[in-house]
Amino acid sequence: MGQPLDIFAAASAEGAWTVSEVTKRAKHVIEAGLPPLWVRGEIANFRPWRTGHWYFSLRDKTAQIDCVMFAKENFRLTQPIEGMQVFVFARASMYEAKGGFQLIVTELLSTDQGGLWKLAFEKAKAALTKDGLLDPARKRRLPAFPSRIAVVTSPDGAVLRDIQAVVGRRWPVAELIVVPAQVQGAKAEASVCSALNRIRRLPVDVLVVARGGGSVEDLWAFNSERVARAVAAMPMPVISAIGHETDVTLCDLVADVRAPTPSAAAEAATPDRAEVLQQCGALGQRLARALRIASRHVVERLDRTGDRLARSMEHRLEKSHALLTAHSARLDALSPLRVLSRGYSVARDASGRVLKQVAQLPSGKEFRLRVTDGEVNGRVQ
Amino acid sequence: MAEFSKQLERLEAIVRKLESEDLDLDEALKLFEEGIERLRVAREQLQQAELKVKKVLEIESPS
Repeated sequence: MGQPLDIFAAASAEGAWTVSEVTKRAKHVIEAGLPPLWVRGEIANFRPWRTGHWYFSLRDKTAQIDCVMFAKENFRLTQPIEGMQVFVFARASMYEAKGGFQLIVTELLSTDQGGLWKLAFEKAKAALTKDGLLDPARKRRLPAFPSRIAVVTSPDGAVLRDIQAVVGRRWPVAELIVVPAQVQGAKAEASVCSALNRIRRLPVDVLVVARGGGSVEDLWAFNSERVARAVAAMPMPVISAIGHETDVTLCDLVADVRAPTPSAAAEAATPDRAEVLQQCGALGQRLARALRIASRHVVERLDRTGDRLARSMEHRLEKSHALLTAHSARLDALSPLRVLSRGYSVARDASGRVLKQVAQLPSGKEFRLRVTDGEVNGRVQ
Repeated sequence: MAEFSKQLERLEAIVRKLESEDLDLDEALKLFEEGIERLRVAREQLQQAELKVKKVLEIESPS
């Protein structure tokens, strides 16, 4: 101890490490010694950066570690709040520029209320509710006989096959317009929105938005507020079938009809052709029966009218007949024949002119004399 | 096909009118003929045997 410490001997230019060497070595040691691991702690000093990266600390009662979660890992999450208890999956490393020990976080789960997914879901749901987009009164009725059915789903999946099979079986009369979209991954939100946007301008009667089952993360795009708002703004009724029956996404809540599976969505979108044909048959029968009944009415009315016509004719004939009898009695009274029957006669010349005066009857004039029962010829002497 | 609903609606209206109203024969016959024609067209529309599938590529969309 008495000997002066020759600090320079141990710190010769050759023997000393540079800062970079130390950090590099430390980084290597840390990364090799600590495999990726789950860490539990409380969020502190949360700082989201403009680049999308999150910086924060994880701490417990006695210690604290700096953490970073890069944008490519956190883009689907809502930001955690200060003091929140979380689990992170991370690998330990060294941030060489600062010589800092840190955790590079690839997953972050909240222990509160089912985690950040739940948090994000509730937050977006609250925003949609506030704008009235979840109001049951907004739900539109589906068209009875759609001629154009649009489908937004992944282009090459079982989902599209199922939908196509059901529509083809029940209502092949329609046209199916498939607008493929990425339904999972970082680009899903934008891709689904763009597909919806494309359909908005097409003459489509009903839209099916469908996706098969998957993890909460896989279904993420359909829990995005942006997608939910785009669905709500569609001009035609929307049927949503996202994930399994137990997964209720915001897209499901906003849609006019929620179907438990893509096949069920296709069924909801279509009538059954066989039933519609039956319906047509029944209408045809009713039409024929209605005509029969209508024509029977007409015939009956015609009969009634004929009867009335006959009755009225009869009546008029009777009246005419009575009138005729009266007139003929009067005529009879006035008839010259009656006068003749009393012993009078009437003389007429060859042209039928009645000879009433002596001057009309010169000597030798021939005339005809009408008596009550006939005529005789005569000549004046 | 877009007119299928209208076709069926009109057909139902015709049947109802024929069933409920006292029409003269001429009018009844006219309605019946129209009904039969609409029924024929509706049935024809239902005969399309195969589903038409059209894919609209997302990239065509200027978004």
